[in-house]
Amino acid sequence: MPTLVSYIIVSAALLGVGIYGLSVKRNAIRILFAVELIVNAANLNFVAFARYMNPPTVSGQVIVFYSIAAAAMEAAVGLALILVAFRLNSTIDLRKLNKLKG
Amino acid sequence: MVNLPTTPAGILPFIVAIVTSHTFITLVIFPGFIHLMVVVMFLTWYERKLLARIQLRIGPLYAGGPGGILQPIADGVKLIFKEVMIPYTADKPLFLGIPLALVFLGALPFAVIPFGQHWVIANLDVGLVFVFAVTSLFPSMVLIFAWASNSKYPFLGGLRSLFQQVAYEIPMWVSALSVVMLAESFNLVQIVSAQQKIWFIGPAFISFAVFFIASMAELERLPFDLPEAEPELVAGWFTESSGALFMVIFLALYMKLYLMSSLITVLFLGGWWGPAFLPQPVWFILKALIVATFIIIPRGVYARLRVDLLIKVGWTRLLIVALANVFITVVLLRTGILSPWGL
Amino acid sequence: MDLSVPPDITFVVLTAITLVAAIMALQAKELIYGAISLAVSFIGIAGFFVSLDAPYLAMLQIAVYVGAVVVLILFTIMLVSREEVDKDLTGETGESAAGLWLAGLLAVSIAGIAALAGPNLPSTAPVGNLPISQLGPVLAGSYPVPLLILALLLSGALLGALVLAKVDR
Repeated sequence: MPTLVSYIIVSAALLGVGIYGLSVKRNAIRILFAVELIVNAANLNFVAFARYMNPPTVSGQVIVFYSIAAAAMEAAVGLALILVAFRLNSTIDLRKLNKLKG
Repeated sequence: MVNLPTTPAGILPFIVAIVTSHTFITLVIFPGFIHLMVVVMFLTWYERKLLARIQLRIGPLYAGGPGGILQPIADGVKLIFKEVMIPYTADKPLFLGIPLALVFLGALPFAVIPFGQHWVIANLDVGLVFVFAVTSLFPSMVLIFAWASNSKYPFLGGLRSLFQQVAYEIPMWVSALSVVMLAESFNLVQIVSAQQKIWFIGPAFISFAVFFIASMAELERLPFDLPEAEPELVAGWFTESSGALFMVIFLALYMKLYLMSSLITVLFLGGWWGPAFLPQPVWFILKALIVATFIIIPRGVYARLRVDLLIKVGWTRLLIVALANVFITVVLLRTGILSPWGL
Repeated sequence: MDLSVPPDITFVVLTAITLVAAIMALQAKELIYGAISLAVSFIGIAGFFVSLDAPYLAMLQIAVYVGAVVVLILFTIMLVSREEVDKDLTGETGESAAGLWLAGLLAVSIAGIAALAGPNLPSTAPVGNLPISQLGPVLAGSYPVPLLILALLLSGALLGALVLAKVDR
């Protein structure tokens, strides 16, 4: 049975991958991938802590329940925004979408 | 765990011990791989014969044995020998890999479906949610395959199929919720055990109706057939597959049919309960085949529904009926008219 | 970490699958391959949930993330024009190095804090189980307000996405 520290290290590694994607990529959809990875890393952390508490508590899982729903919602709205941005500017390259007009 | 044989004379008892172990029998023979293949091939023959009789024809007749019973094997052999044509601009890894993934995901939920009181491969506590999770992966595979074909008609068919399957998934699982409330568990063995006195089709008949209609839409059977409407879209999302690929997809579709029939049997028709003169798995398969008959018959009887009306019905009418049914079940359970575990 | 105990094979395999799929999701040439790797990464996380005694949450993760969010992403990728998504350059050469440094420092510092606090954190899972029947009462009993707010948020998000994506003809 792996220790709690192993789960935190995995979660931190996923966070690192997500932050790398968030800061380096130009494509708006890849940035959405990175955001979803970060949210998943946090969910993993919650469930790991909920399991390793003494006695194990189910509240961590309830928080992750809400987090999954909220992240799905945010992905839907984000994708709708990307669609609208593409329709107006014919590009989803975030380096070009940095003007507030249009 | 097991004692590996150390001498050549010990190999035969070792093999016999493995072959007769419970794990091997459930995983490979029944209700595992071999039984699944046999029943799925039987279902292809059965559907052709049934539709033929409805349409006043005879159906498969010549392929060996009485009534063309070896027709599925003849089909399989023919399809294996046909050339697998992959479009030049299609995405090869996805095109070849997705049918395998479809068959894998179609066979996976059978690991939790109980064919008898001790005939289940994996008695998961979250069995029903596992089936839900796996069947929710189908629409995405269909979409990826349709995109990978890189051609207009498959892509349109794939989009329509995606919309249809996603629209009917939710009424299906919301109506299964009433069954979960009656049996107080997600565990499929417990759901069947709770139907010992009365099958759940009695107290939950509205859910049965909604689940049945929604599963016909999930399977893309007539009258929900527009994604593969033969005169209009050639074959919908699997137009570009030929030969062995088509056989694999065909197998996946019939596995899904058997899966949905087994699920309806488990949730509503009392699983393996029946008078004791037949063993329990036989009752299960009998009931599943009866449900499959009722899913196949509308194909020869009804006309096709237009896809936007279809999706509208799925998201509005059916979902409202399913939600109202959950509300009614909660009220009945709270006021004690229905007690959990049936009546 | 106790190096005398051999590492759990399931944990190692799941970690490998999740991290490799996550990196491939960002680095794959085609966006569709990236979306599929993202789906594999989500399935890896669901495997972690199963190993952490949260099977219901694992199935929910697969049903919601892989079954709905990945479908939405695939859908959007197919609606956004093809030549656009293939040009995924990361810009000047110095930039990906800066991103790697940033992400690496962040991940290493968090992991380092956790590893240094290791002896004070539980190393074996405490006995006790988390039955699914406890999930409902806690959801509706201890946290009813987030449940209702989430319902309102969901309807708002649904309406918002519909209004945004509507095509004015």
